[in-house]
Amino acid sequence: MTRLNSCSVTGGACGSDVPAIEVRGLSFTYPGAEAPVLDGLDWSVPQGAFALLVGGTGSGKSTLLSLLKPEISPTGECAGELRVLGESVAGMDVRASAERVGYVFQDPENQIVCESVWHEMAFGLENLGMPRDEIRRRVAETSYFFGLEDWLHRDTDTLSGGRKQLLSLAAVLALRPRVLLLDEPTSQLDLVAEKNFLHALFRVNRELGCTVVVATHQPRPMLEYATCAYRIEDGRVCEVADIASLGHREGLFSGEVPGWGASRRAKNGVFNSVSGQLGSLDPRAGAPGAKKGLKSDKSGEFEAQILSQDDLGVPSRAGGRRILPKMHAGSAATLSEGWFRYDRVSGWVLRGLDVTFSAGAVHAIVGGNGCGKSTMLSVLAKTAKLQRGRMVRGAASAALLPQNPKALLVAETVHDELMEWASTCGYDEAAAQEQTARLGLAGLETRHPYDLSGGQRQLLALAKLLLIGPELLLLDEPTKGLDLASRRIIAHALRDHAKAGGTVIMATHDLDFAEQVADDIAMMFDGEIACMEPPADFFADNVFYRA
Amino acid sequence: MPVDNMRERSAIEPVAAFSMSHPAVPALYMALTLGLTMFSMQPVLIALSLAGGLAYGFATRGAARTLSALRWQLPVILIISLVNPLFSASGSTEVFRIGMRAVYLESMVYGLCMGGLFVASVLWFEAAASMLEYDKVLALLGNAAPVLALMISMCMRLIPQFLRRGRTVLAVQDAIDVPGRAPADPVRSRLRASSVLMGWGMEDSLERADAMRSRGWGAAARRTTYARYRLGRADVAALVGLALFGAAAVAVAWAATTQYSFYPQLSVPAPWPGYIVYAAWMVLPCVLHAIDEKRFG
Repeated sequence: MTRLNSCSVTGGACGSDVPAIEVRGLSFTYPGAEAPVLDGLDWSVPQGAFALLVGGTGSGKSTLLSLLKPEISPTGECAGELRVLGESVAGMDVRASAERVGYVFQDPENQIVCESVWHEMAFGLENLGMPRDEIRRRVAETSYFFGLEDWLHRDTDTLSGGRKQLLSLAAVLALRPRVLLLDEPTSQLDLVAEKNFLHALFRVNRELGCTVVVATHQPRPMLEYATCAYRIEDGRVCEVADIASLGHREGLFSGEVPGWGASRRAKNGVFNSVSGQLGSLDPRAGAPGAKKGLKSDKSGEFEAQILSQDDLGVPSRAGGRRILPKMHAGSAATLSEGWFRYDRVSGWVLRGLDVTFSAGAVHAIVGGNGCGKSTMLSVLAKTAKLQRGRMVRGAASAALLPQNPKALLVAETVHDELMEWASTCGYDEAAAQEQTARLGLAGLETRHPYDLSGGQRQLLALAKLLLIGPELLLLDEPTKGLDLASRRIIAHALRDHAKAGGTVIMATHDLDFAEQVADDIAMMFDGEIACMEPPADFFADNVFYRA
Repeated sequence: MPVDNMRERSAIEPVAAFSMSHPAVPALYMALTLGLTMFSMQPVLIALSLAGGLAYGFATRGAARTLSALRWQLPVILIISLVNPLFSASGSTEVFRIGMRAVYLESMVYGLCMGGLFVASVLWFEAAASMLEYDKVLALLGNAAPVLALMISMCMRLIPQFLRRGRTVLAVQDAIDVPGRAPADPVRSRLRASSVLMGWGMEDSLERADAMRSRGWGAAARRTTYARYRLGRADVAALVGLALFGAAAVAVAWAATTQYSFYPQLSVPAPWPGYIVYAAWMVLPCVLHAIDEKRFG
C-alpha cells in the first residue's frame, strides 16, 4: 500500500506543514444544556502524529472528534473553525469526509454493517459507487496489510470482539483516509486483543503516514505508540508535555498503595532477591514506587464525594488472607469434574473443571478469550447444565450481571428500572434510594437508562441486581470500558458485598481491578483452572500475565 | 453461545456443482430444472427428476442425511397417492370401493406422480440452496437492486446477533434465583425479553447509522455492489451450452407431457430416445460433482 500522504490520493492542500487537524475558537453547546461542553477550544495536531486525547467521561472527547466529521456531528450550537488538512470541515460533503477522515467507534458490535468480512470491507467503497475492479483491488490490499486473508469469508457475527474491531479499522482504512479518529477503540477488548489492535494502529500510523487521534480514558497501553498527547478539561484542550505521566496506575481504594507488596516480600524473599537481578522480568519491579503519589486531584475529589467512611472502603489486608476464617463457613459454589460443550460438534469448553469458591469473598477469574470463563459463569448461574460432573451451589440466592448491561434494562426511567423486581423480590423504595446513593446514581432517577453514560449504565445494572440481595453475585466483565470513577464505585460495592457475607465471582480481563479487589485470582485456561491464588502470589509468580 | 466460545470451524463443506462458475450459470440451470420438474406431469419424467435430485443429494449431502429426509418424503408420496382418489373419482380401472365411492387405479397413479413431483421439487430446491449460496444470490441481485442487496446483507448480519442477545436476556432472567420468588411466567418473560431487545436494538441502530454515514453512506447517487464473480468466457460458453441443452430438455418434456394422459386410461410410456436427453439434464450436476471429486482425488 502506498503511503497515504501522497497528494494524488485525496487532493486538497497537503503540504507537510499544514496541520492535520486545526481547531480555532470552537464552542459547542448541546440543545437544552446550560453550559457549553466545549468552550473556546483551540487545538492543532501535526500531520503524521499518533495523538492521544485524554479526559474523563463527559469531558467532550467524543463531541470534539465527531465535530470533525460533519455527517455524524451532534446537533447543537456550534461556533468556531475546524480544518482538516487545511480544508474547512463545514465545506466537506459526505464523500469528501469519508475519503479524508476515518472514524472508528467504541463498540465493535455496532459498527459492523454487513454479514461477511469481505463485504464489510467493501461497504464504504460500495457507498462511493466505486467500480468493482477498484473495490477488488482495495479489498485485496487492505486484507494483506492487516493479515485478514484467513478469515475473509467468515461471517462477521462469528468473529471475536478483537477481530471485529480490527475489521472495523480495516474497513475504514480501505477508504484510504489521511486522518483517522478513534473513540475509545479498545475499551471493549481484552488485553491481548487490545495489544493487537494498537499494534495494527501503530503500523497504520508509521507505515502509511496516516495521522491517528485516539480519544481514551485509559491511555496506559497506548503510551509507547503515542507521539503527542492532549488533555481535554473544562471545554478546552491543552497539550500534555510529559506523556509518560499518563502511565501511572490509579488506586481503586483511596488511591493508596494496596497492601499486597509487603506481604509478598515477606513470603517470597528468595524469589524477590533473584528477580531483583533479573530486573525487567520481575512482574512487580518498581511497582510500589510507581504507585506512590498517584493521588490526582480527581481521586481526591472523588474520595470526598463517595468515600466519606475510609475504613469501610479499604480492606485490611495486612494480616494476610482475610478470608481464612470464613473459608470454613462453607463454599458458595463447588464444581467437580465439570465437562461442558454447547453442542455435539463443537469442542469441550469446560474440561474436567474442579474448583471451589469460598463464601464471603471476591473471586476473580482471568484468562483469554474463549477459555470458558463466561461458560463457567452460566453453569454457576444454572443457565447451562454440565454434561458430566457436578455443580453444588451453597449460596441460597444468585444473580448474574451480563457483559452488556443493556441485557438487563427494560424500563423508561432509572427509578422504574430499579423498582422492576420490587414486589417479586421484596424490597422497597427506601432500599432502592439507598442503593442509588451508594452507587453514585443519585439525581439520575428520572433519566432514561439509555441516556446514561456507559459507566452509569453498568452501575445501574449492578444496583438492580444488588437490590434483590443475591448471596452469590456472578459478574461477567464488570469493568469493561469503564472510567476510573465507575471502577472505584464497583470496587467498593463488591468489597461491601463480600464483607456482608456475600460471595462475588467475576470473570474479568481487568487485572488491575482484580489485583486490588479480589481475595483470590484464578487463571482459567483450556476449560480448567490453571491456578488459583491470592493476588500477591498470583502476580509474584506470573512473568507474562500481569496488570 | 457467547461468540468467543465458538470454535472457529474451518470451512470443510462439500463442493457444490458449478462452484467455480459465475452464479448466473447455476441460476440458469436451477431455474430450468425447477421449471421442468414442476410442470412435467408425466411418470417417466418425474422418476428421472426424482432420481437426479436424489443422486445429487447423495453426492453432496451424504447418504445419511438424504436417507433420513426420505423418512418423511416417502410417506408424503404414499399419503398423496392414497388421498387423491378420494377427491378425484375418475378413471376406468376400479381397484376397490369404499362405501359408495369407487377408487380407481388411474387416480392413485396420478396421486403417486403428484407426490413424486412434490418430493423432487423439494430435493431440487435443496440442491439450489447448496449451489446458490447467499453471496451468489447477492451478486446476481446486486446490479439490479443494490439497496435491496444491502438490506439482505444487513439482515443476515443482525438476525444471528438478535437471537444471541435474546438468549442472553433470557439467561440473565433465569439466573436470578431468589428464594420465595415465583418462577417467571414463560409468556411474561418472553414479552419482557422482547422489550429489552427492542430498546437494545434501537439504541445500537443509532450508532450503526453513524458508522454507515461516516463511511460514505449516501455519497453516490448509485451504490455499486461488490461481488467477487466475473463473467468469463467459460461462463458465457457454459450459459450458451446450458441454454441449448435446456431447450432440448424442454422440448422433450413438452412432447412427453402432451402425449401422456392419466384419464380415462393410463397411457403406457414407450421407450423413446428423448428420455435420454432429459435424464442427462437431470444427472448433470451429479456428473459435474463426480468430475470435481475425481480431480481432487
